[in-house]
Amino acid sequence: MSDIWKRFPGVVANAGANLSVSRGSIHAVLGENGAGKSTLMNVLAGVYRPDEGEVRVEGVAHRFRTPADALAAGIGMVHQEFRLVPSFTVAENVVLGAAARILRRQAIEDEVADLAEQFGLATRPDRPVWQLSMGERQRVEILKALWRDAHILILDEPTAVLTPAEADELGVVLRAMADAGRSVIFISHKLHEVTGFCDEATVLRGGRTVAASVRVADTDAGELASLMVGSSPMTTERPPAHPAGPPLLEVSGLSALGDRGLPALQSVDLTVRSGEIVGIAGVAGNGQRELCQVVAGLRSATAGTVHLAGDDLTGASPRKLFQAGLGYIPEDRLGVGLAPRLSVVDNSILRTYEAHRRGPFIVAERAEAHCVDLVERFGVRTGPLDDPMAGLSGGNLQRLLVGRELSGRPRVVVAAQPTRGLDVQGVKAIQDLLVEARDEGAAVLLVSEDLDELLTLADRLVVMHDGEIVGEFDPTTAARSEIGEAMIGHGAGVGS
Amino acid sequence: MSRPVLVRREQALRGGQPLSFAIGLVVALTIGIVLLLGAGHDPVAIYERMFVAALGDPDSWSVTLNRAVPLGLAGLAVAVAGSMGLWNIGAEGQILAGAMMAAGVARIGEGWPGPVLVTAILVGGVVGGSLWALGPAVARSQIGVNEILTTLMLNEVALRLVQWLIHGPWKDPDSFNFPLAPMIPDHGRLPTLFGRAHVGVIVALVVIALFAVAVNRTAWGFELRVAGSSGATARYAGISLERKTATVLVMAGGVAGLAGGIELAGTADRLTEGISNGFGYAGIIVAALALMRPSGVAAVAVLFGAVQIGGQSIQTMGVSSSVSTILQALILFGAIGAGVLSRYQVRMVPGDPGDPGDPGGDGVQVGEAT
Amino acid sequence: MNEASLIGLCAATVSFGALLYLAALGEMVSEKAGILNLGVEGMMAMGAVTGFMTALEFGNPWLALAVAVMAGALTALLHGWFTVVLGAEQVVSGLSLTILGLGLAAYLGKNAVGRPPGAVLAPVDWPVLSDIRWLGPVLFQQSPMVYLSVLAGVVVWFVLSRTRTGLALRAAGESASTADAAGHSVVGLRLAAVAVGGGLAGASGAYLPLSLTPQWAEGITAGRGWIAVALVIFGAWKPGRVALGALLFGGTLALKTRLQTFGVDFSPILLSMLPYLLTIGVLVVISIRARNRPSPAPASLGIAYRREER
Repeated sequence: MSDIWKRFPGVVANAGANLSVSRGSIHAVLGENGAGKSTLMNVLAGVYRPDEGEVRVEGVAHRFRTPADALAAGIGMVHQEFRLVPSFTVAENVVLGAAARILRRQAIEDEVADLAEQFGLATRPDRPVWQLSMGERQRVEILKALWRDAHILILDEPTAVLTPAEADELGVVLRAMADAGRSVIFISHKLHEVTGFCDEATVLRGGRTVAASVRVADTDAGELASLMVGSSPMTTERPPAHPAGPPLLEVSGLSALGDRGLPALQSVDLTVRSGEIVGIAGVAGNGQRELCQVVAGLRSATAGTVHLAGDDLTGASPRKLFQAGLGYIPEDRLGVGLAPRLSVVDNSILRTYEAHRRGPFIVAERAEAHCVDLVERFGVRTGPLDDPMAGLSGGNLQRLLVGRELSGRPRVVVAAQPTRGLDVQGVKAIQDLLVEARDEGAAVLLVSEDLDELLTLADRLVVMHDGEIVGEFDPTTAARSEIGEAMIGHGAGVGS
Repeated sequence: MSRPVLVRREQALRGGQPLSFAIGLVVALTIGIVLLLGAGHDPVAIYERMFVAALGDPDSWSVTLNRAVPLGLAGLAVAVAGSMGLWNIGAEGQILAGAMMAAGVARIGEGWPGPVLVTAILVGGVVGGSLWALGPAVARSQIGVNEILTTLMLNEVALRLVQWLIHGPWKDPDSFNFPLAPMIPDHGRLPTLFGRAHVGVIVALVVIALFAVAVNRTAWGFELRVAGSSGATARYAGISLERKTATVLVMAGGVAGLAGGIELAGTADRLTEGISNGFGYAGIIVAALALMRPSGVAAVAVLFGAVQIGGQSIQTMGVSSSVSTILQALILFGAIGAGVLSRYQVRMVPGDPGDPGDPGGDGVQVGEAT
Repeated sequence: MNEASLIGLCAATVSFGALLYLAALGEMVSEKAGILNLGVEGMMAMGAVTGFMTALEFGNPWLALAVAVMAGALTALLHGWFTVVLGAEQVVSGLSLTILGLGLAAYLGKNAVGRPPGAVLAPVDWPVLSDIRWLGPVLFQQSPMVYLSVLAGVVVWFVLSRTRTGLALRAAGESASTADAAGHSVVGLRLAAVAVGGGLAGASGAYLPLSLTPQWAEGITAGRGWIAVALVIFGAWKPGRVALGALLFGGTLALKTRLQTFGVDFSPILLSMLPYLLTIGVLVVISIRARNRPSPAPASLGIAYRREER
């Protein structure tokens, strides 16, 4: 792939990215979130069409219009979200789209079993997929690509859903495929996996290739980590430090399950004091989301406690927590934090509508006054306030949401990815609001995938990996590479 | 390199709904002309007759309004549930259940004074309809049983129950062995307003207005609308989805049941198996055309009432009354088709549209999975 | 209760069962592809009226059946156009289809009311087999529609479970995006399934005036379309179980008119509630079991699919 450009509205995901993969090798594609890895791979797999650039497979230039085109050229991709029919058997899923006209159950199960055996993929072709573990489902996805005779197999963060043992097994399977002359492209954050079983690595940063086809044997994890993280081109000035007060949010021994019923949080201890911002860094999916949800009352804890200003509020309802002084800016703005089909006014009173009641009624004037107040104080640009929320731009949606959560002067603010996807102005506005809340004495817990943001805003920085807090740093002194290594489970005192 | 893409609007165009409604009406009337011509009728004369019979003078208005009552209440029963994203397909059965309970009250309360009896009959209707919706409500909120299918099944059960009552226990001994329930006492009938229009018109209007206000202006309605927008947002806002689901479905049943009580005491005067006559199903169309907004139900119901009454009148001209049935369905299909225009916009996009922050932005997802 | 009336009951059970089975099979095919079509009653009425009118005009029952199948399929495609192509609400569109079909059938059949049928499908008299005591009259002297329904059941089962097309169709109903990603046309599959479903409903409708009740009357379908919808759920979307359910529900229809001759003092009307109540029971069981296993209902049932524009 050479000089691939891919623009989305407001974002340039790939800005001249290059990738060259040789036959029979396992090639890692590395980069931070937003570095453009997934976009580049989706271009290769025919999901996106590139704006510029060329894709050549075995010397032949291709313009893929659909994933089916890419498959026909021998490129198969295993997405992070599996594309499987849960009620179908493994064999049915594997042959879907490329089956013989007449299906003989036993015959396809035997063929799939043979194919699986050829590559050492343990599977049970007659089992319905819903009964399988995540690791087994992933093998079904790999089998699907192999069934279509894919010579280039792309795996998008394949180990994210696997247990360590399953990840090791996967490594063995991929090696078998490479030895059979196929190429594997392996997208990952986890450097020990890259150094463990990849042959070459390409590192992306900011949509560009910063290191192409480095031989893994010639480098080490530290070098790759520093390439990934790089140095920030934009250095925002740190807001002046602020003396921290008494602890307002105390989390101790907190454990919780993730959406798939697996442990996502493991005995997390964390204290946020009045007047400080504690940043949580980590690769997505390492428990940050679950931590916020448990604190905000949207996910139940399996162990541990959450104290708010000294009161035990473990397991309290979201409303009770809000009334106790917890402002929560959820990661999923439109799906959780706002009701996009309702009006701007309705959204502005989502958390406080009970306070605008007179008898059974919501007093329209009061609600509207509250809304106007939010809109003015937080600089939300809107059309008519009775119009649906969804008409607002991303930045204005978030201003209203953040404004709503901060307007009651909460004692604790939990902000999950509050600036993700916003333009520069929007980012600045939201960051200023969080700092202002801190300066007014709130305890702010900030989760972000943007390390620069955390280094700029946080007074203390903790790193989460695999549901645990694996390190704490002073953002004014810590080295980026040190934090980066902790994020991928390689930091001091972190076993991997 | 740019190409046109049909993009779903977050919200239908302002004024788009009345427009698509009008287009639906035009489409329906046009196809109706073809049908009538095909059968050798004069479409102009027939449409004129329909119009005069339905809206020509106060008397016809009174009949049309009477018909709009069950249609509007059934539409409301669907729209209230629909405001929360639930499908109440059971208005037909709830109307019948309301009529049964109301008829039961009329049997017991024969000796009661008029105003008491009338009130009791209407309350009986509400109770009957609520009870009929109780099962699906509890099943949906507690174990997640699809309410579309349970309410649909119960429609047929309610119809059989009415048939059983009028063939058996409630058969009028003076009906010469015809399967007819006895007439309700005269003083149990709804007082009339003008022409043949009865008090039920006002009752229905008040109930529709109450719900429109409740959904749009009260905290209860606010919670309903938030829950209808997204279950996750509702939880974030501190709303109990289970309780809300159950109460809303039961209330919807009560509204439809009220229509049953009004039909019994206002127009039918006795329990018959045709007392609902598809009002519950027509109500779904009414609600769909009103975009599931209680405030829009009344106007659509009057129009549908007019189409139905007009349709009945053309039988004397040798035209099947089924013309009105066909028109009602065609109005909806026409409006859905036109509605696409108001729900989507054509946007020219360069190369590949798609927003990494909102991967589902262009996907259309209508309706809930079972 | 004598032997003749018992045989009559069993034979009627099979006839009614076949009637319900055809319609339910069609609904099942449609639902398997993810499209809930609550217009069965309307499609049956269209099949019944067009079948009867064709028989009146041309005197050929097989031509009548073919026309009925076409009419059912075309009626269904209206639903298909709105729900599959335009993404309209399936519930609303389907119910409107019922209303439209019933109205249109009544309109078209207005002049046919009370007329003797132009042609009927004569019962097949299987050589040798029809003389078997009991089994003969119950199974081997039936209308050709009965045997066609069995054939349809076998074909549907085979296509759904043993062919590539069936696999793709089920995938479109379970996970439309997966079927799309695998290179299948979800729109094409769904439209085809809806049309086949309508054709089978049309055939079921035609069975009434061409064989079971040889005349045309408004409301001839008498709510059997709703039983068919129930039957699909009762049979857990499986052709075999739907067939058993069809016999059970067909039995209640057959028994309804015979209760008194058997001297059973139970209201036939209450008996006719049974299919619906049983179906509600099955729905509850399905939901309770759905806590630790997937529901047998197609997972994308009722959800419109539009590929994300990229």
